[in-house]
Amino acid sequence: MDQTLTAPATEAPREADLAFDHLYRSSRDDVYAYVASLVRDPAAAEEVTAAAFERAYRKRSRFDPGRGEPRAWLFGIARNAALDELRRRDRQAELTAEPADLVSAPAQESAEASERRLALSAALSGLEPRERELIALKFFAGLSNSEIAAVVGVSESNAGTRLHRAVTKLREACDGAL
Amino acid sequence: MEPFRDDNDLIAELRTLRPRPSQEFTTGLDERAAAGFPRRSARPGSPLSRLSAWLRTLPPRRLALSVTATALAAVAVATVIVAVNEPGKDPASLAQVEPTAHRPNLTPMAESTNSHLQPSTASSGQRHAGGGDSSTIEYNAAPPTATEGETASGEESSGLEVPAGGSAGVTQSNSSAATGPFASEVRHRDVERSAEMVLGADPDRVADDSAQVFDAVHAAKGIVLSSSVAGGAAGDAGARFELLIPAAKLGDALAAFSSIDTVVSRHEATGDITAPTVRVGEHLRDSRAKIDGLLVQLAGADSDSERAEVEAELSAERHRAASLRSQATKLGRRANLSRVSLRIETGSGAATGGSGGDWGIGDAFHDAGHILAIAAGVAIVGLAIVGPLLLIALLIWIASRARLRRARERALK
Repeated sequence: MDQTLTAPATEAPREADLAFDHLYRSSRDDVYAYVASLVRDPAAAEEVTAAAFERAYRKRSRFDPGRGEPRAWLFGIARNAALDELRRRDRQAELTAEPADLVSAPAQESAEASERRLALSAALSGLEPRERELIALKFFAGLSNSEIAAVVGVSESNAGTRLHRAVTKLREACDGAL
Repeated sequence: MEPFRDDNDLIAELRTLRPRPSQEFTTGLDERAAAGFPRRSARPGSPLSRLSAWLRTLPPRRLALSVTATALAAVAVATVIVAVNEPGKDPASLAQVEPTAHRPNLTPMAESTNSHLQPSTASSGQRHAGGGDSSTIEYNAAPPTATEGETASGEESSGLEVPAGGSAGVTQSNSSAATGPFASEVRHRDVERSAEMVLGADPDRVADDSAQVFDAVHAAKGIVLSSSVAGGAAGDAGARFELLIPAAKLGDALAAFSSIDTVVSRHEATGDITAPTVRVGEHLRDSRAKIDGLLVQLAGADSDSERAEVEAELSAERHRAASLRSQATKLGRRANLSRVSLRIETGSGAATGGSGGDWGIGDAFHDAGHILAIAAGVAIVGLAIVGPLLLIALLIWIASRARLRRARERALK
């Protein structure tokens, strides 16, 4: 991540390029985490993440800061790319917190911690897809409520309410399992 | 097993489930990012799709500017095209008409051409700085119509009487078979030309312009049949000329008249009088032959009564021959001398743009208004064509976006 997005060497980097460089650096892993949660396939997640950044890069000069946060704009593009991938594959998005090949469990972990993790994954799988998406945006990608609202197309208060409801539901499911 | 103590505990555990990209992927993506995300596969899309993809990458403001500039350029180009090709505004119109009026051999059909040439008032090309009239005037050329005094068959409605009966009638029938109603087999055509012209002038220039008219007629070796010149205020002052100009010099004379002052209107007409000319000539030859025959018959007359009868017939035939000679002379004069009616008018609109042929500020405003009117017309027509198409395209785009959005939301469910 030490590289800078470069225009041709003869041109000075434009403001939009510098801004996108910063956005890319700060959001690469978050976008991947969110996309991977949606598509449940590491290879597809990598493809979609790369495609999302490519789309965003091509449209970077069309981004209007007055209309929202750059991260919300980027995650909106990533969301569309992921949903397009899901449509292409003609299958539903089944969010799982722990797809077998997405989560790397710590090597030395107690049995109790592992059990808690599995219970949490199962509870996460039991959520509605939209609730799982909110969880992914909030806790995997680290978006604020306003950014989440912009990505999923609801008001900020509505996003907060839905998120709170999803967390409560998730905790209740975990408590029941444990 | 101990449950989660609170939401923070749950969230902390939840964050440990966060998917993480592989090192290989992040390294590759960083390299692609550093290279400006080059396209991974060259899409062989059509030029239209490539244009569409390029347009999508443009910032909205730049896109709007590009569209506006393109639309303005299109309107400007269309305005120029319309202004140049506007009927009656093309200087070439005169060049297209005049050869018709001057060509010595017309088509075999009896032809009548009626060209109405009228410059637009106060246009930039209205004034003549001198020289040929086809270089600067803008004209309206009306479609050809039948010249007054001629029938559709090319025969004149006056000045020619076809004799009924007698040997002349037989001859006429034979000659008609040879030449037809339009004398189509005659190689030399007799064409009658006429013109009307109205010049606009300031009242104080009427006398000077009239003198120039006389000079031009004299230079063309023409004849002034009648003239009247009146002074006074604008509207009252003016002049009127009835002229005969040698047909061969009609173009030069009209050019000279056009250079005198502002041409308000110009009207030229041509009519093919070959058929009546040929017919009169044939009748005249028949008449002369008949006179010769009657003279021989008179010399051989045996009785007074027979002699008196032949003399009476001879007298009638001589009268007829004289009448035919007169008609032939008139037809020849009509072919050789063109009648020109010239008026010099004053008053509002007659001499716009000032005197002396200068193109002034008023002309500039008028021309600018004219061009703006054309541009507005082009823009309105363009909007009428493009507007509905854009509206349909917009509706399709909106419907397509809505359908795509719904499809994506369904994919999430």
